[in-house]
Amino acid sequence: MALKKKALHGVIALAGVSALALTACTGPSGGGSSSAPAAAGPIAYGTTDKVTSLDPAGSYDNGSFMVMNQIYSFLLNSKPGGAEPVPDLAESSSFTAPSEYTVKLKSGLKWANGHTLDSKDVKFSFDRQVAINDPAGPASLLTNIASVSTPDATTVVFKLKNANDQTFSQILSSPAAPIVDDEVFPADKVLPDDEIIKAKAFYGQYTIDSYKKNELVSFKAFGDYKGVLGKPANDEATIKYYASPTNLKLDIQQGNIDVAFRSLSATDVDDLRKDSKVKVLTGPGGEIRYITFNFDTMPFGTKAAGADTAKALAVRQAVANLVDRQAIADQVYKGTYLPLYSNVPSGFLGANESFKDAYGDNGKPSLDKAKKVLADAGITEPVALNLQYNPDHYGGSSGDEYAMIKEQLEKSGLFKVNLQSTEWVTYSKASRADEYPVFQFGWFPDFSDADNYLTPFFPEGGFLKNHYNNPTVNDLIAKQLTEADKTKREADIKDVQNALAKDISTLPLLQGAQVAVAGSTVNGVDKTLDASFKFRLGTVSK
Amino acid sequence: MTTVIEVPEAEPGIVAPRSKSKAGGGLGKYIVIRFFLIIPTVFILVTLVFFLMRVIGDPITAAQGGRLPPDVLAQRIHDAGYDRPVLIQYFEYLGQLITGNFGTTITDRRPVVEVLTTFGAATLELSINALIVALAVGIPFGLIAAQHRDKSSDAVLRFFAILCYATPVFFSGLLLKLTFSVWLGWFPVAGRASTRTELSMSSLGAPSGIYWLDALRSGNFAALGDVASHAVLPAVALGLLTAGVFLRLVRTNVIGTLGKDYIEAGRSRGVSEFRLVTKHAYKPALIPIITVMGLQIALMLGGAILTETTFEWKGLGYQLVQYLNARDFVAVQGIVVLLAIIVAVTNFIVDIIAALIDPRVRY
Repeated sequence: MALKKKALHGVIALAGVSALALTACTGPSGGGSSSAPAAAGPIAYGTTDKVTSLDPAGSYDNGSFMVMNQIYSFLLNSKPGGAEPVPDLAESSSFTAPSEYTVKLKSGLKWANGHTLDSKDVKFSFDRQVAINDPAGPASLLTNIASVSTPDATTVVFKLKNANDQTFSQILSSPAAPIVDDEVFPADKVLPDDEIIKAKAFYGQYTIDSYKKNELVSFKAFGDYKGVLGKPANDEATIKYYASPTNLKLDIQQGNIDVAFRSLSATDVDDLRKDSKVKVLTGPGGEIRYITFNFDTMPFGTKAAGADTAKALAVRQAVANLVDRQAIADQVYKGTYLPLYSNVPSGFLGANESFKDAYGDNGKPSLDKAKKVLADAGITEPVALNLQYNPDHYGGSSGDEYAMIKEQLEKSGLFKVNLQSTEWVTYSKASRADEYPVFQFGWFPDFSDADNYLTPFFPEGGFLKNHYNNPTVNDLIAKQLTEADKTKREADIKDVQNALAKDISTLPLLQGAQVAVAGSTVNGVDKTLDASFKFRLGTVSK
Repeated sequence: MTTVIEVPEAEPGIVAPRSKSKAGGGLGKYIVIRFFLIIPTVFILVTLVFFLMRVIGDPITAAQGGRLPPDVLAQRIHDAGYDRPVLIQYFEYLGQLITGNFGTTITDRRPVVEVLTTFGAATLELSINALIVALAVGIPFGLIAAQHRDKSSDAVLRFFAILCYATPVFFSGLLLKLTFSVWLGWFPVAGRASTRTELSMSSLGAPSGIYWLDALRSGNFAALGDVASHAVLPAVALGLLTAGVFLRLVRTNVIGTLGKDYIEAGRSRGVSEFRLVTKHAYKPALIPIITVMGLQIALMLGGAILTETTFEWKGLGYQLVQYLNARDFVAVQGIVVLLAIIVAVTNFIVDIIAALIDPRVRY
């Protein structure tokens, strides 16, 4: 009997050995609980963003632009630490007439494949963006370009439809403006990634050495690069793509990657702050979150029951007086978002805190003020507010954020909030089809200029289609857009914000911070977390 | 001297074919019918997926709905052709499928065929690894449970089997990851290989996409070790799902076989219980496992989707989730068609095996 048992135990052992055979002679290679950063070798960057296309005409998303920033150059770009566009491929640039913007190129530029980089490539790059006008591309940013001409190999002249466009230098460093090789890219269609790589059509700090789309990209420094970013602080870098923020977090903690950027959850960031093996770095963020009021369908709106413009304004003002932004930023977002008190977030020219001045109690909610505005407008009963949010597009914490807003409003006794959520595709359409009276939205800028938080939103209801239209505000927005004097423009932008705070077309809530996590021995990440919102691998070293 | 050939007694109800010619004729017809049943199966699934994907919205809105004015958005949807009548789109898609054109993914602009071949290899690798785990765990434990029938060890193993089958794979995956990666640090957290290994794979001339095979082929044993260490947890998470089924099946069949006359005869001749189980009883008990193994493919593929997502195992399941989130019709349809074909073909093969074993299943 004992023998039988032994034999059976032998079978168990054999099974165990079979199951563990997979692990034979292995240890955590580059994994496990090693706490050292990914030692020698390339800078390893991890992200949950995804690449759509490496062709600038075929994509308009953070994941694609991140890679483009390493392998292409712009006429103008910003140096690490700032967002002010300065010459990159250009030697100089300026308005040479109200509707004419002239760029002089550096001479002797060569693509990584040996082709000449000159004004022909520049004209070609902009013309093809407009010609292709890809549904997923950024061609819409170039609507102010009437034509591009090339008097000689190093001169490019842009004719503009609207004179004195003060955002044009930003447009030239935006996702619509990477310069591509006219001998490689087709003029009328998007080029597949593999062909771009095969043709070595790169002119940036790096060239792509190997490419597995949305899995792993490896870069090598490009020795002939003469742009504004200079020689990178490392010779090689990689980007590893993740589906799960949790896996991204675990890999940075275990030293499998050197930098984790976009997008860790607020809870993960909070957890990583307590980990001595990594450092959490923050920079100004351009992302904003806000509540939109539909002026037709909101309580007392122009097409709602009991339509009354004054009462509708009082409702918006009461909400503005009651919302506690700081509590949401601290409790829901653990400091990864900051309170936002204006339509233009801090860090941009002219940004002020118009809502802080006009509502609440110096940034804190004020029940007394809320009661007063409603009473003054003759509203005596609690206001029924249908508040919509989206749970799957603006991050997983939206539910908590809006539950907190509901609680803040209802606690006052002045509102009865009916909170509802809808999945994104339906939500994004219904919100602009008058189906939601009050709803959540968010925004990430196309380029680093205050106007990008104004022009798309407010003139004649903007892209929000919320029926807000104030001719005074429209004029102010148009004025700041063409004001060449920086001081005057700053004052104009402040005026716009003050006017917007009076009307409350949208109620600014939060401003996102850029959050990157780096290994303790990794340096230079902080240099690139600036208001340009461009991550440059070239600043990172270890 | 006469030679006695021991033939294990067949399972109850399994009758050996009496005449080759008769069986062959029936089998031929049966195979043809089963083969042609694949087509409507795949067709129905393709149709379902096509219309379901249209219900959940278009990729342009999913990506840019929060940035563009409604009229611009509508124009872009129109330019992409997503506002055309759904039936027209459907028949266009069917026409493409018939010519073998799976199209190009919308969100990352790659030929769907490239997606299928690139990521299919990873899913195949995970499935093989998981099957090894399932068999290595399920069969021995099933034998032990059968031999210790109604004893505490049997009860424990039966409970273990139910637990394996009932535990969602993402939960067991997270548990394994938390224990063996985060707390103990024995295995990597995620991925199919470390960055260094991935890069060395990229430099291979024509990698198969099955990492351990590529590592072996290139004689890179450091890479092989790295790949193996990455493979353990996903394989265990997915393998245990099926191991529970195998365990219970082996146990039930072995118990059934252990009651047979020829086993009793063996006992009376003094053959050891261990020898009876491992030499005589288990072989007939394994026949249904072959059938079930085929049927488990669907379960395995379903589990692979969750396992791959949990462990960042970049296979078809992982990609399917990414594309679903982005409402990429073309990619989702392509992947689902392939998965449907795999399941249908596997079941077809299983049906043939079943028909070979038991002629009564033929029509």
